[in-house]
Amino acid sequence: MKPILSSDPDKRQMAFDLLTTVEAGGCSAKISPTILEAILSELPLPFDPRILVDISTHDDAGVYRLTDDIALILTTDFFPPVCSDPYEFGQIAAANSISDVYAMGGTPILALNIIMFPSSRIPIEVYGEILRGGNDKAREAGVSIIGGHSIDDYPPKYGMAVTGIVDPKKVITNSGARAGDVLILTKPIGSGIIMAASRMGMASADELASAKWCMKQLNNEGCRLMQKYNIKGATDITGFGLAGHSLKMAVGSDVTIRLSMKKVPLMKNAYTYINEGCIPGAAFRNLDYIEPKTFFEEGLDYNLRMASCDAQTSGGLLISVRESAVENLLTELNASGHPEASIMGSVEPKQKYSLIIGN
Amino acid sequence: MKVVDTKGLTCPAPLIKTRQALNEALEGESLQIVIDNATSLSNIRRFLKDNKLSSSEKEENAIWTITVNRGEVMPVIENIEDYCSVSEERTGKNVVVAIASDKMGTGDDELGTRLINSFFKVLPLVQPLPSSVVFYNAGVKLAVTGSLAEEYLKEIEAKGVKLYLCTTCIDYFLLREKIKVGNISDMYQIINVLNEADLIIRP
Repeated sequence: MKPILSSDPDKRQMAFDLLTTVEAGGCSAKISPTILEAILSELPLPFDPRILVDISTHDDAGVYRLTDDIALILTTDFFPPVCSDPYEFGQIAAANSISDVYAMGGTPILALNIIMFPSSRIPIEVYGEILRGGNDKAREAGVSIIGGHSIDDYPPKYGMAVTGIVDPKKVITNSGARAGDVLILTKPIGSGIIMAASRMGMASADELASAKWCMKQLNNEGCRLMQKYNIKGATDITGFGLAGHSLKMAVGSDVTIRLSMKKVPLMKNAYTYINEGCIPGAAFRNLDYIEPKTFFEEGLDYNLRMASCDAQTSGGLLISVRESAVENLLTELNASGHPEASIMGSVEPKQKYSLIIGN
Repeated sequence: MKVVDTKGLTCPAPLIKTRQALNEALEGESLQIVIDNATSLSNIRRFLKDNKLSSSEKEENAIWTITVNRGEVMPVIENIEDYCSVSEERTGKNVVVAIASDKMGTGDDELGTRLINSFFKVLPLVQPLPSSVVFYNAGVKLAVTGSLAEEYLKEIEAKGVKLYLCTTCIDYFLLREKIKVGNISDMYQIINVLNEADLIIRP
């Protein structure tokens, strides 16, 4: 079958620009973590000894032991367009949905599409292109899409419910960081800022393309190396930003996490755009969320503080690794498609504040 | 007093305009920022507070006017390079093979077919292996199920060589159902792979 739309992204954008369907800035896509936690805390947690990981530790996905050797990982994620091109949006949404399985150390195997699409307001070819992007990304990850559900709704939204498997003894969680560990981040942050700067006409086409490249990149290599090095604690960086997810890991692991922001890999020119005031609303929401449990060190650069709160789409893995293994893990990550992976923080015994952010 | 009118603008445009006006303002000068949406209002309040800029507010019919004193010098970037992401470090040469056709060389098509098959038969024996092989135009035909190159592609893929297949080309030749190896890639990915190469081999 010949593609209905051109596969050249520039030409496809002329066909239909998905970003015209969302409020410029996309500030409202995610529910504030502060509100979300308040609501979730009201719900009773299921009790079943086979549930290995649930929402009580703010983890990326649920894990359920089937046998002594196999546990299921279940996760879902979907969101409105983050870019103009439907095929690329599909790829990014799929990479983002699948990432939660990798963050738990698992192998994604199956997925169901979740799509909301206004069939009377947007050319139906766009729908096909979104699904094609999701399908190609799923194939790259070795995931079979075996069903899905669609609803007529505006603006469009897309994502997946993904199932993975993992050896129950090798589950990697938010609560596995240990005092004395070192933290590695596998992808640069700043995608929220670059996407906003692009909408504002500030970011260059190259900067936008690199940000999209990062968002499309699967975390499969990071996951493989985490298992090779017996990692127990990790999370992926998404909507709550580096600071928000670090805080969730610190609380889940009952430790204090220290972030050294100048060592955090930042997307090119993200710093400049923050300095010019291009700070997406989600960053302020994340700042409100982390503030009660966070100590900002004296002299912390304001722009770096906001970078730490920038909401990421399909971000990298934050890996807690014992000091003796960190050099080898970092070298292998750098050689496996993550040239910007860096040591950017440390895990300390629990103190008054769960998160400490410094320059 | 200079007025920054952000009415009708959505986040983060009001903050960008505010930031710009503060940069242009003289030390001690005051500005008025006019805002009509709650999200931007709360973000600008927070921005001013965190940057220790004193301000006052008034509201009329859901339009807020913030008066802010430019105050001391705004924080400036001392060394912007400190914040830019580090350049890539690589060990050894990154060799990428680009397959633009299902034949090797021009002259005789049958000979070209034999040569390209022979190329893939020998490729797994080369040390060090290339990091990636990119297939585009008729090159994608070599990666279909049942092609003579298939088993050698599987072999190098198992050894860690990444195979990138052009999605447009696969659709053009109607091969989507027949592709079982490699990653289906768009032009961004292909350009990125080629761009990261130190050496490109094009048989």
